[in-house]
Amino acid sequence: MRNRVVITGAGVVSSLGDSPGSLQLSLCSGRSAVKPVELFDTTGLGCPLGGEIPSFDAQKYLGRRNLRPLDRTSRLVASAAQLALNDSGWSESMRKQEEVGLVLGTMFCSVHTISQFDRRALEAGPAYASPMDFSNTVINAAAGQTAIMHNLRGINSTISTGITSGLQAIAYATEIIRSGRARAILAGGADEMCFESFFGFDRAGLLCRSEHTAGDFPIPFDKRRNGFALGEGAALLMLEDAHFARDRGARALAEITGTGCSYDCSQGDDEESAVNAIALSIRHALNDAFTGPHEIDCLSASANGSYARDLHEAKGVYAGLNGQTRKLPVTAIKSMLGETLGASGPLQAIALLEDMRDGVLPGINGLEQVENDLPFDLISADNSQIDLEAALINSAGFDGHCCSLVLARV
Amino acid sequence: MKQLRVVVTGIGVVTPIGTGRERFWTNLLAGRSGIGPVRSFDTSAYSVHCGAEVHDFEVENYLSNLDAAHLGRASQFAIAAARLALADANVEIASLDLERAGVSMGTTSGEPREVERFDDLFVGKKLERVGPEFLALYPSHVIAAHIARELRFAGVNIMIPTACAAGNYAIAHAFDVLRAGRADLMLAGGSDSFSRITYTGFAQLGAIAPEVCQPFDRSRKGMIPGEGACVLILEPLNSATRRGARIYAEISGYGLSCDAHHMTAAHPNGEGAARAMKQALEQSGTTPEEVSYISAHGTGTPTNDRLETLAVKRLFGAAAYRVPISSIKSMLGHTMGAASAIEAAACALAVYHDRIPPTINLKEPDPECDLDYVPNYARAQTVKVAMNNAYAFGGNNASLILRKYQE
Repeated sequence: MRNRVVITGAGVVSSLGDSPGSLQLSLCSGRSAVKPVELFDTTGLGCPLGGEIPSFDAQKYLGRRNLRPLDRTSRLVASAAQLALNDSGWSESMRKQEEVGLVLGTMFCSVHTISQFDRRALEAGPAYASPMDFSNTVINAAAGQTAIMHNLRGINSTISTGITSGLQAIAYATEIIRSGRARAILAGGADEMCFESFFGFDRAGLLCRSEHTAGDFPIPFDKRRNGFALGEGAALLMLEDAHFARDRGARALAEITGTGCSYDCSQGDDEESAVNAIALSIRHALNDAFTGPHEIDCLSASANGSYARDLHEAKGVYAGLNGQTRKLPVTAIKSMLGETLGASGPLQAIALLEDMRDGVLPGINGLEQVENDLPFDLISADNSQIDLEAALINSAGFDGHCCSLVLARV
Repeated sequence: MKQLRVVVTGIGVVTPIGTGRERFWTNLLAGRSGIGPVRSFDTSAYSVHCGAEVHDFEVENYLSNLDAAHLGRASQFAIAAARLALADANVEIASLDLERAGVSMGTTSGEPREVERFDDLFVGKKLERVGPEFLALYPSHVIAAHIARELRFAGVNIMIPTACAAGNYAIAHAFDVLRAGRADLMLAGGSDSFSRITYTGFAQLGAIAPEVCQPFDRSRKGMIPGEGACVLILEPLNSATRRGARIYAEISGYGLSCDAHHMTAAHPNGEGAARAMKQALEQSGTTPEEVSYISAHGTGTPTNDRLETLAVKRLFGAAAYRVPISSIKSMLGHTMGAASAIEAAACALAVYHDRIPPTINLKEPDPECDLDYVPNYARAQTVKVAMNNAYAFGGNNASLILRKYQE
């Protein structure tokens, strides 16, 4: 017998709100966070657009604590963690009694910190590189800093699988609670917007191109899609053993009933291989959840406006759900948040918790010219009313990683 | 329900004391050091100049599908270790269900040399020279991805960058994946390349020893940064026995904990480290008295070795004085994310051969480090249960238990 895993709270710091409710409101009113980037100079880059968190100030969430040792990524994570702990009722004194873990998915943690540390040594000499910055050059820095700040003494792990990092972190934590190894874990993901990562995506030709300055791009599943916009954020779920949560009187927002993952060795170059990998990841998640394709009430897609990848996903979902997708409501919140990398899967999950409660699924912002031959008849820019019992969250990276999760009403 | 048993059936290593299981093990038992003057970059601006680098590494010997020019050094090491491990385990890739073959790897820095190349161009105002391939070279997750692409593995693919304990985390995760029935075979381990960024950082922390790494010695002066990779083949016991595989050891449990105390310093009373050890023993149904060997994190810094000793005493009590403990970092330096994976390989081999590798350069023990550190010479002794300890930045602690396979 495996333990059941429930979500008892969520914390989010995003470009479209710093609570699940405000995020949902933004998504359902079709607000896009994608605007000209202000955090750094984009002169000379192909894409000037990104989904930044406007005037992010960690002090708002973390009060008067010493934030000096924390870089932007760590501040995002520590803030989201504080919000998730509050939301799930894990007080400071409870954390002294019981070990709470932290599993963070991140693609880069802070490549900005790493690069800056190295450049300082290059320009001024190694003796001028900051020892404090060095501790933030490790990819588990944000998880470590957050554990210190919030006294999270349980399992502390960092997962990097590109875009799927955050959803994979939730799957990893789910497995650990199922096996009885831990009873409470904060799990999710984060990535910051910084020049160094933005530059890499831009050079790789993955970012969207727009004649306009804001709002039009990216458009998942639209014929005009031509790449994604990079975003940022941190999103964490409090996952708990269902019995443990009930005994402590916590409310369960939803249950994680299944997870699955796979890898496409062609990295999207071969359509058949790419579609198979996405389908495999979905099938694994459904089997793990003992859920049939017909029981899935909606899809939160990974689609972010990438030309080939969005199509692979549509075909992969079709195959993974045995063709039962025609009447499936589909949302793609990266149309508004941009591609937030490690935060993206957990943001999809948090939005779904709200959808489940409100019975409203946000439409795909900007979608007008729906791509030909999609297996989704209901895909639309408009919000839809739904009765959500079980939902499929899909995450599919541009370079081959796939991860899927089934979320169910408790 | 009876838990699935998971065994180690293949070992692939790329280390400063040799590539391939046999050379590595021979040199480890002989107490050879892989430490010498740094060749990767000019250290004249530093006050220290030694490192543990891998020399004479020819990646072409291990590549059938990918192009070395599109692989960072950590990925190259990792692919070599993976190929060596598969050969060591006598696994034919053609015989595998590739959708159920997975990869779980750890790292501290991912591909830092690619970031360094970017930084050189950035500082030299030549960023226009950065090409479209940059993004496919440097994010840490590409290490596990590159192994999978080289071998066409389409199952679980995960990178766990939990710094200097990452190898143990990655092996522990592979163990869970197999136990949950999500794969038939997992490649698990860690990889890191020698890096200017890492070297600069440890130099600035004053943590690098000038010449030798002498864990637990009274006059120890610090750690020596290193590089390397290790990949273990993990598979369920029933599939290993079905194909008549050589079983080095069984993995019977692990423990993970977080100090939540300080980014770079361990908890002063060793509390977090002891919790990880305790969990690992509990999961594998082992008492401290049954442990025959502890592979120490043993970096050689004054603080680490003292606190680690304290943590072992805290958990083992009087038994601490009877368990041989050694640090192979005395020979290999600190190979970062690869370290605990290489140490897990050493544990598996210790269990298999009943030999314990030594802590070299241990001339005069520190009075605060008063346990049996297997000084300078390998020891022949029955090893039923080995415990592999690793600690990392972020206060991450990971202990892994490997035991002699018995039916």
